[in-house]
Amino acid sequence: MAETLVIQPDTGFLRELLRSGGADLKKCYQCATCSAVCALSSEQAPFPRRQMLEAQWGLKDRVLGDPAIWLCHDCGDCTAHCPRGARPGDVFGALRREAIRHFAWPAFLGRWVNDPRALPLLVLIPVLLFGFLWAFGPEAASTHPGRTEFANEFPVPLLEAVFFTISAAVIAGFAVGLKRSVRAWRDRGAASPIWPNLLPALREIATHRRFAQCGAERWRYRGHLLVMWGFVGLAAVGTVIGLGHLAGAVHTPLAQSHPLKILANASGAVVLFGLGLVWAGRLQDPARRARTTYFDWYFLVVLAGVVLTGALSELLRERQMEAMYAVYFVHLVLIFMLFVSAPYSKLAHLAYRTAAMAASGGRAGR
Amino acid sequence: MPEKIGVYICSGCGIGEALDVAGLAKLARGEFKAAAVEIHPCLCGADGVALIRRDLAAEPPRADKLVIAACSPRAKTDAFAFDRRTVVERVNLREHVAWSQPPGEDDTQRMAEDYLRMGIVKAQKSAAPEPAAEAVSRKILVVGGGIAGISAALEAAGAGYDVLLVEKEPQLGGFLATVKRRFPGEPPYTELASDGLKGKIEQVLYHPRIRVWTSAKIVKTSGQPGQFDVTLETPSGAAGDRVGAIILATGWKPYDATRLAHLGYGLSRDVVTNVELERMAAAGPIRRPSDGKPVGEALFVQCAGSRDPDHLPYCSSVCCLATLKQAHYIREGNPEAKVFIVYKDLRTPGQYERFYRAAQDDPLTFLTKGEVSAVVRRADGKLGVTVTGTPLGADLVVNVDLVVLAAGMVPNSADGPAIRELKDNQLKVLQSDSAAQRAEAARRVEELKRHEGTEILNLDYRQGPDLPVLEHGFPDSHFICFPYETRRTGIYAAGAVRAPMDGARAEQDALGAAMKAIQAVEMAARGEAVHPRAGDLTYPSFFLQRCTQCKRCTEECSFGALNEDAKGTPQFNVFRCRRCGICLGACPERIINFPNYSVDMIASMIKAIEVPDEFEEKPRILVFLCENDAYPALDIAGWNRRRYSPFVRVIPLRCLGSLNIVWIADALSRGIDGVLLVGCKFGDNYQCHFVTGSELANRRLSNVKETLERLRLEPERLRLEQLAIDEYDRLPELIDRFAARVGELGPNPYKGF
Repeated sequence: MAETLVIQPDTGFLRELLRSGGADLKKCYQCATCSAVCALSSEQAPFPRRQMLEAQWGLKDRVLGDPAIWLCHDCGDCTAHCPRGARPGDVFGALRREAIRHFAWPAFLGRWVNDPRALPLLVLIPVLLFGFLWAFGPEAASTHPGRTEFANEFPVPLLEAVFFTISAAVIAGFAVGLKRSVRAWRDRGAASPIWPNLLPALREIATHRRFAQCGAERWRYRGHLLVMWGFVGLAAVGTVIGLGHLAGAVHTPLAQSHPLKILANASGAVVLFGLGLVWAGRLQDPARRARTTYFDWYFLVVLAGVVLTGALSELLRERQMEAMYAVYFVHLVLIFMLFVSAPYSKLAHLAYRTAAMAASGGRAGR
Repeated sequence: MPEKIGVYICSGCGIGEALDVAGLAKLARGEFKAAAVEIHPCLCGADGVALIRRDLAAEPPRADKLVIAACSPRAKTDAFAFDRRTVVERVNLREHVAWSQPPGEDDTQRMAEDYLRMGIVKAQKSAAPEPAAEAVSRKILVVGGGIAGISAALEAAGAGYDVLLVEKEPQLGGFLATVKRRFPGEPPYTELASDGLKGKIEQVLYHPRIRVWTSAKIVKTSGQPGQFDVTLETPSGAAGDRVGAIILATGWKPYDATRLAHLGYGLSRDVVTNVELERMAAAGPIRRPSDGKPVGEALFVQCAGSRDPDHLPYCSSVCCLATLKQAHYIREGNPEAKVFIVYKDLRTPGQYERFYRAAQDDPLTFLTKGEVSAVVRRADGKLGVTVTGTPLGADLVVNVDLVVLAAGMVPNSADGPAIRELKDNQLKVLQSDSAAQRAEAARRVEELKRHEGTEILNLDYRQGPDLPVLEHGFPDSHFICFPYETRRTGIYAAGAVRAPMDGARAEQDALGAAMKAIQAVEMAARGEAVHPRAGDLTYPSFFLQRCTQCKRCTEECSFGALNEDAKGTPQFNVFRCRRCGICLGACPERIINFPNYSVDMIASMIKAIEVPDEFEEKPRILVFLCENDAYPALDIAGWNRRRYSPFVRVIPLRCLGSLNIVWIADALSRGIDGVLLVGCKFGDNYQCHFVTGSELANRRLSNVKETLERLRLEPERLRLEQLAIDEYDRLPELIDRFAARVGELGPNPYKGF
């Protein structure tokens, strides 16, 4: 190849990778067993071997600007077969985390979400916000007289104001991060245009066809598929209700027989079941499967918390028990955390991965 | 005492079923008037052996020479081990007849009869060996005081042998004394070892059995194993000593880096070799040689001039480790320094893999496969290194402060035959009559000049003053089959002069060579041959009254066993001899013979073969098999019950090089239809146990073929095949193909004359 690369290892990046999940990165001795077992690898592109070498050498721009790091399903085949214990799967997890942080806007949120030391802050902000609302905010009357509702303590218009604001910020965060990332991909030579390739990418995401080829950790494929579809269901319900309420078309609380309520309850159950699978998988023999870091736990715990507190508050409301406000308060705090951290947490992959699949035509190319 | 031949025939292992053993016994009694003939169903059992011993011990003995017609001479050697002064001839009825021919057939029986005749005839002609009994020195000379030399000295001295250690430098220690740190030497093999040499050097210096000469040179080595006379030039004058064996541990020198200009050597003072870097590291912190600034980035080029047909074609096995070690020096000196290592493939044998792993874990050591294609000086004072062929899919440019060339090891050895040729030609330049000869000699002198002054041992041998080298300048005689052995008996190579190796392996190597040296003196003391005919008491005698001074024997001996006097008469050195019989094969006057292996003996065996007349349409084919590979290969074919032509008659030779062409004349004139020779592979990757034996046989054979053509005999009646022991399954096919070809040629026209 005519391309010439002036090597200037980024030692800070390298040390960060080694610290945050890619501790075994340097053990790779380029045997390419990982490329041989990886379902995404092709003859032209020694994936993930080349990325391993780039990571080893601290070639930050090159490896973070490679859309291929997003194609990996973290199925663990490479880690299971690596003769040297270099755990390429874990390294890729660390690389994706680094990419999210690297492209994050605003940058401090990228740092906070990935740093356990910032966790109290991430909790404290929504606690104060919703605590203030609860304690000092206006109270609203029930839509069904005689029954207590969440809106008594947390009036819907106020919540809408909060969450629509956050949503706008989240969308902006995603947009800037993605834009930076796509520019980096282009610099690295990922040639496929994103929009025309989006549909095949979405089709792949919807079916998890390639994810299903993973051999080492099949539980991840099933778990992820369920969580994803459940999440999509919940997100759809949340959006429709939010917008519908704003337009005055929907009035909460919905009856249990309402189609949206049925979808919401079903989606919640699906997410919980999928999370159970993922959770159980992650607690298996730690030597074989992907290492679970703070980054993974943050997302898993918050998401599970959101669904569990949601279900519990619904139950308490049905029973008209006083504790419903407290649980709902926790629910709101967790939703806030999930939302605010979305472009910087593991959840960010839903945008990066989709775009990367489109940008690379779905192949770990180059 | 008239000799009494005892013939003992075993009928076990299927021999009795395949053959009429009673008929064989009758033949021994009738044709040969054998003094004792016995048939036993299990001759190698306690009963059978007791039977033989009873006959030997009887008063007067019933038998004094034994013909044991049973299994292969390579089988049951323990059972049939009698007093070594008793002549024992083994006739191979099992592997070569019963297990390879159809039972009960007439041809099978005739084959067995011929073998029995040949065995009895050979026993008749054989004499008990008189072992060479001469006073020998058991002292061992170690040449070179590096890690291999001092280890060999300590090993030999520890085993109770006096040692003379000669080192040309003023102090002991060799290369390892100059290094900063050594490769890891103990579990977990991840930490570099501080020097472990001082203690060993002190042990040598204070060892009561070791005499050390430093700043000394060997001026002359004459004699033979057990009786080497060594003359030294020392700071305190000339010294001499008699030693029994020699260990050559002269180590290595770095490959000439001035030939590595393509990798930047000479371009800047910041391009150094690994040996130069080691010196820098030992002297103090590593800094940029050009301006003394700290090293922020360094790049190591592996295989610099190694595994490269234009330079050293081999791997020196230590450069990768040296690089990992030196990377560690740089990294520990400056925690922010970056070290790049560009390799073909990283070789860290054995436990050193652990050191590699540890080095790999260092975050700022960057390793990649690749090839350095250019090194340039940059305006900012750095060196720009271009690396191609990396898995990164792009050419890399790395800008560094220091480029280290991991260059390989060149043995410190001297090529004896080349030095001799150089000296002969230098003489010719001065003395030749014709101008053309002088010009040719001058040309050869120019070619061989690089060997000038390389002498180490200065052997007083006809074939040159030093050890012949095999490949790439190493004096080993065969890396795999005969480790430590050089082509001079009693002289063993150890350490990096034998093969590229690191200090730890050199220490083990020294032990191996010391064992060989001890073996050599002990076997000389008992009058025995060393490897490969270990324990052989026989040696050739020279009937010099009939010698024509043709010098063939002295030239052809692979081991320089024969010196020459001024007239060219061979002077035999029994302890240099490996007993292969190449001289016996070389001698046109047939004056070189062993007590149990002579020109006449083999000729008589050939004559003992009954050759059917041409009307019977049963050809006879003589097969000479090398005793070391081809003969056991035919045994293995027998174990596998492989069939082959019943018309062949096998005679084992000590080495195919001992083939005397008179035997071929004898065979053809007896009416034998074809002669097949099967010996070891020759050429660059030879397998001949005596180095050049099968090649010499081939040369002699081509000379005979010309003679055959003059006699109007088809040259195809003679054939030489090369075969290794593991190719046993090819051998029956090879024999049958030759038999078929001889069949096509028709009967030998000299049959019946």
